[in-house]
Amino acid sequence: MKHVGIYLRLGLRNLWLHPARTGLTVLALAVGIAALTFLTAMNDGWMQNIRENFVLTEVGHLQIHARGFEQSHKIRDHIPDTRPLKSRLDSEPGILAWTERIRVSGLASAAGANAGVLVSGIDPLRERKVSRLADFISQGRWFGLDEAHATIIGDVLAERLEVGLGDKLVLMAAAPNGDIMSEVFRVRGVIHSGVMDIDNLLTLIPLASARKWLGMATAGNGGEYGGVTDIVIRADSFADVNPLKQSLSAAFAGQDLEVLRWMDIDPMAEQWSQFADAYTWIVLAVVILVVLAEVLNTMLMSMHDRIREFGLMGALGTGAMQLFAMLMWETVILVCIGGLLGFVMGGWASAYYGEYGLDLSRFATAFSFMYMSPIVHPQLTFDGCARILGAAIIGAMIAGLYPAWKAARLEPAVAMREI
Amino acid sequence: MNASDNGTASMEGWDSPLIQARDLSRHFHSSQVEVVALDGVNFDLQHGAFSVLAGRSGSGKTTLLNILGTLDMPDAGALNISGRDVLKLSTAERADFRLMHMGFIFQAYNLIRVLSARENVAYVLQLRGVARDERLRIADTWLAEVGLEGLESRRPDQLSGGQQQRVAVARALASEPDIVLADEPTANLDSHTGEALMQLMRALNEKRGTTFLIASHDPVAMDAGKELLMMEDGRIVEQHRQ
Repeated sequence: MKHVGIYLRLGLRNLWLHPARTGLTVLALAVGIAALTFLTAMNDGWMQNIRENFVLTEVGHLQIHARGFEQSHKIRDHIPDTRPLKSRLDSEPGILAWTERIRVSGLASAAGANAGVLVSGIDPLRERKVSRLADFISQGRWFGLDEAHATIIGDVLAERLEVGLGDKLVLMAAAPNGDIMSEVFRVRGVIHSGVMDIDNLLTLIPLASARKWLGMATAGNGGEYGGVTDIVIRADSFADVNPLKQSLSAAFAGQDLEVLRWMDIDPMAEQWSQFADAYTWIVLAVVILVVLAEVLNTMLMSMHDRIREFGLMGALGTGAMQLFAMLMWETVILVCIGGLLGFVMGGWASAYYGEYGLDLSRFATAFSFMYMSPIVHPQLTFDGCARILGAAIIGAMIAGLYPAWKAARLEPAVAMREI
Repeated sequence: MNASDNGTASMEGWDSPLIQARDLSRHFHSSQVEVVALDGVNFDLQHGAFSVLAGRSGSGKTTLLNILGTLDMPDAGALNISGRDVLKLSTAERADFRLMHMGFIFQAYNLIRVLSARENVAYVLQLRGVARDERLRIADTWLAEVGLEGLESRRPDQLSGGQQQRVAVARALASEPDIVLADEPTANLDSHTGEALMQLMRALNEKRGTTFLIASHDPVAMDAGKELLMMEDGRIVEQHRQ
């Protein structure tokens, strides 16, 4: 770090010697970095939004199944009695809430039509603490007390079955023993989530009714206790997901259960994460290319402008490494100014839209399919900033290397003869 | 001739020449022709000399000055400066040698354009590691010595050609080098300014005892020299005091 003072002074003054050239480069760098900062914040905001929506809409942060259910999706692979698990779930740190469900594929028949459905027996009270299904009610209402034969269905399914509030619906599904069971329910509510699988297929019924209908209630009760296919857990935060999986897997080892994270449950969720990673790398590659192209051009022009001066400096005793360092510092100054300006611009835009949201409602249908809210809130994270900064510095270093290397290799006597 | 056989003459005070050049030759190759720039140059330069290397354009003055300044390497020969066999030095060592032992004045583009006169003079001192206050004090002293008091903060483009050359003289002397090498220092100056510059350098030589070797074909410069080395076709054909 010897002579850094003179390198900085020379770097700043040489850049200021050509204000238009330097200004244009700084502006281009700033706009590029600002755009990429904003895009990174958008990506992070989107991904956070998708994860939250995916998890909170229905899936939960974690689910516990009987071993084999995730592969077979057959109701025979169910957890016969959840009571031995409850005390652990109630006391486990990191769990905000949990609920139980029975999931089974079936057939819904109304007066005018039939349709394949996904029946989900839920605990009406606990479900509200875990998922947002109750928030999606578009007609009617959520389950009331003692409504054993009420059902809430997706709005697209309601259209297909040509049923409305108060209409009867006959549900048929296979019980764990293979018997086909049927039961009559009455539509109490209609939900619209924007998620195709929910709106097209989901048919909610009370858990106790599902247990009784499918023969999964523990003997001697009205369905309050018995079998379930899923225990759905809402964690305090995404950071708790992995520790919870480890802790619960260890706690329930030997009970023929498996603990699955949200990304284990839906392969598409894993692909979203991979897509986000790929997008991040693409953004970083663009940052490096933008910085490299802008800075290399400017630094090469600067180097050629000053060949005689470098020759003079070399003649006066400036070493090759000192000339190299001088050019590298000049590059760093250029990138720091442009990068800082870009960060301020991109950061301001991210903060503004992070607060007020970027309204993309015209794409709402496509967004809802992806569990995305049409109002996007960019999220500028420390990691995102560090990635952009790192990429900008790498780009600057690569861009600065060639001109600095050329300057360091100049023979003073030859350089001073350059015209 | 005091050159030792192994080319590592020791510093033995003022009796030993500052520069000992033996059979220096330098050829330049272009696509079809070979140009003999130096053809077996031999000479000694004593401490405190104020010598002018004269000759027509193409006689080899600048090539010899570049080799003496360790800015270029000869194809053959031996060169001992300040007791060092400079031809054995690496590129980095030569840069360091120039920094510690030599001052330079060139014909043009002598100064770093983004630095003030004071900063230009102090630049070499900074590379040498002289503390900030001390190097600025030395720079101001030398700028005053060459008659540029009050112009310390001016950038090169705010100075006349003569003033720029004076800054170069101040810079060359500020680090108290063993020798100052000047290549056509008056070439871009009018005769009056050129004469004043030569008088300044000679006065500094007499006052400070700094050794000067000036390559020039300017009659004003030749008249100012205490010693004249005449070059012709890459050889020193005459060396005499005047």
